[in-house]
Amino acid sequence: MRVLVVEDDSETAEYICTSLKALGHVTKHASDGKQGFLDALDNDFDVIVVDRMLPGLDGMTLVRSVRGANVNTPILFLSALGGLNDRVNGLEAGADDYLVKPFAFSELSARLTALARRPPMQTEETRLQVVDLEIDLIRHTVCRSGQEIAVQPREFRLLSYLMKNAERVVTRTMLLEAVWDFHFDPNTNVVETHISRLRNKIDKPFDQPLIHTVRGAGYSLHG
Amino acid sequence: MDKHARKGPSALRTSIRLSLQYSFLYSVLSALVFALAYWFTQYEVQDWVLDQMRSDAGTLVEIFELGGDEMLVDRVDALAEVSFQNARVYQLLNSDGAIVSGNLSSTFASPLPDYLPAQDLPLAGEIHDEVTGYWLRADDVGPYLLIQGTGDHIVLEILEALGMALVVGYLAVVILGLIVGIRIGRITERRIAAISNTLAEVSAGNLASRISTAPKARDDLSRVSTEINSMLGQIKRLLESQEQISNDIAHDMRTPLQHLRQRLEKLRDSPTIRPDDISASLDQTEEIIATFNALLRIAQIEGSDRRERFGLYDLCEIIANVTEVFEPAAEDAGIELTTKVPGEQLEVVGDRNLLTQLLSNLVENAIKHCPAGSKVLVLAESTLAGPTLRITDNGPGIAREDRERIFRRFFRGEKSRNSPGNGLGLALAKAICDLHGAEIAVSENDPGTTFEISFLR
Repeated sequence: MRVLVVEDDSETAEYICTSLKALGHVTKHASDGKQGFLDALDNDFDVIVVDRMLPGLDGMTLVRSVRGANVNTPILFLSALGGLNDRVNGLEAGADDYLVKPFAFSELSARLTALARRPPMQTEETRLQVVDLEIDLIRHTVCRSGQEIAVQPREFRLLSYLMKNAERVVTRTMLLEAVWDFHFDPNTNVVETHISRLRNKIDKPFDQPLIHTVRGAGYSLHG
Repeated sequence: MDKHARKGPSALRTSIRLSLQYSFLYSVLSALVFALAYWFTQYEVQDWVLDQMRSDAGTLVEIFELGGDEMLVDRVDALAEVSFQNARVYQLLNSDGAIVSGNLSSTFASPLPDYLPAQDLPLAGEIHDEVTGYWLRADDVGPYLLIQGTGDHIVLEILEALGMALVVGYLAVVILGLIVGIRIGRITERRIAAISNTLAEVSAGNLASRISTAPKARDDLSRVSTEINSMLGQIKRLLESQEQISNDIAHDMRTPLQHLRQRLEKLRDSPTIRPDDISASLDQTEEIIATFNALLRIAQIEGSDRRERFGLYDLCEIIANVTEVFEPAAEDAGIELTTKVPGEQLEVVGDRNLLTQLLSNLVENAIKHCPAGSKVLVLAESTLAGPTLRITDNGPGIAREDRERIFRRFFRGEKSRNSPGNGLGLALAKAICDLHGAEIAVSENDPGTTFEISFLR
């Protein structure tokens, strides 16, 4: 995936770019807002990482301008501002996701991957399948090896999010945000307990486990 | 602020100058009113004198018709005779123009003037010394012509008395106005000085200084003073909150940072580094960041105005979501988590995120402190005052002496000292309640604890 990193702090930019390259991604670094805006207009990136506070052109204006120029590349806001309204303001400006510094690289990488491969709205599928696990998003049914599995609504929401992001890593905070609309991190391991319930139904009765724990990062559903 | 600057000429006299200006305006207006009163009185008294002469002439006409020439002449003679010091003068002329009766020795030129100075009058006797002139009037009485005159001393005396009263009154008004005006100016000046003194003191660092206000005063200065006081209170609270955060960070972030440092130093000196050691350090970092974020969040909630993003949310829906999140965790801990909500919506004005976090922190707190086999109930109901949210458990409860302190940052009860957590959950809950104008109270559930949050309608 091709990533544009607009970040003025050279150490952070270096850290992001090196880590992304190590995962096999292509990165381009812009160190100020104006350069970032020009690069973003090239339109050949899969995802853009934008710092909120930038010299030249601030992050908010940059995102608004990019969206105003009809560039729909997914944008992730990276910010040292963890203010109460900052996230909402950032999303309203046209960003697709928001991550507060300091962050773990695994979190950034998981979010970028999810953003870059977000399917366009019109081709939203109604049935998802991973190996022998199938879910129907309309009828809310889950089948594995042709065997119907009864799940609760909350388990279905969790499973469908994992299925939509199959093969990719999803972090605890991504799950908290997407499945329960929790924009803070409870101290209790609530995600683990939900995953464990889901595993009992989806994985335990079968030979091949599909839900995998990714150490230090989160979970991944794959064959 | 320089305390002496306030006493400089322009600052000190603003109010006094204003009151002097008002006094001046007041005295000019009073002078106008008094002059008008004087003029009207003069006019009315003169009118009254002329009316009297006309009515006297009428009486003489009736006497002539009743008693003929003789009686008329007698009466005019008598009138002229009794006129004290010639206060009134009479002259009766027959149809030939000859003097028949009266106290005037010669006739007047025609036409008769309305007013004649006293010395121009052909009078026999002495004249009242205050008379300066006479108002004259001529009337036909049968074939005769009656000329009457009234001395102006009566008018002059009335006007003199009135003038004296008006001048004395006017002086009293002006002097009193000045005194009261300056006094009010001084009082206002003193009150403004009190306000500016207080502000100077606050600027100098004494944040506890307040403007003294009379409890029943309702004027603008009192209102301004009250508003300034409440603003100073808010500034003090904000500063205290800032100071509190600095202290909190100093006290409670040092220990985990020290641990992290120890770990990293050990790693630097050890020949083999295991991934577990690095993970432990990263976990420690995560913990520090989480504590830091929680502190910042409390500060932001306390200090900022998030109300701009407030919306109307159904409390029941938030309860359903939060309990759904915690249900498996509660089950694993052997705790029965139940909810009791009314059939209808319970709408609350607020921030959805923060309301979710509020309930989440309280539920989490209950699950953490209750042993296996306990019950936790989340109850919402509509009361007269507004929606109420109650989180009740039958766990070990909170010691009476701790109940006041549990909402403080980093407070941790004896029993929870060694369990994970940063001691900020309830402080955050309290901050969220304050932002929403909701009351949060903790009480004994015998056994266990009840947290009750009352939202206002």
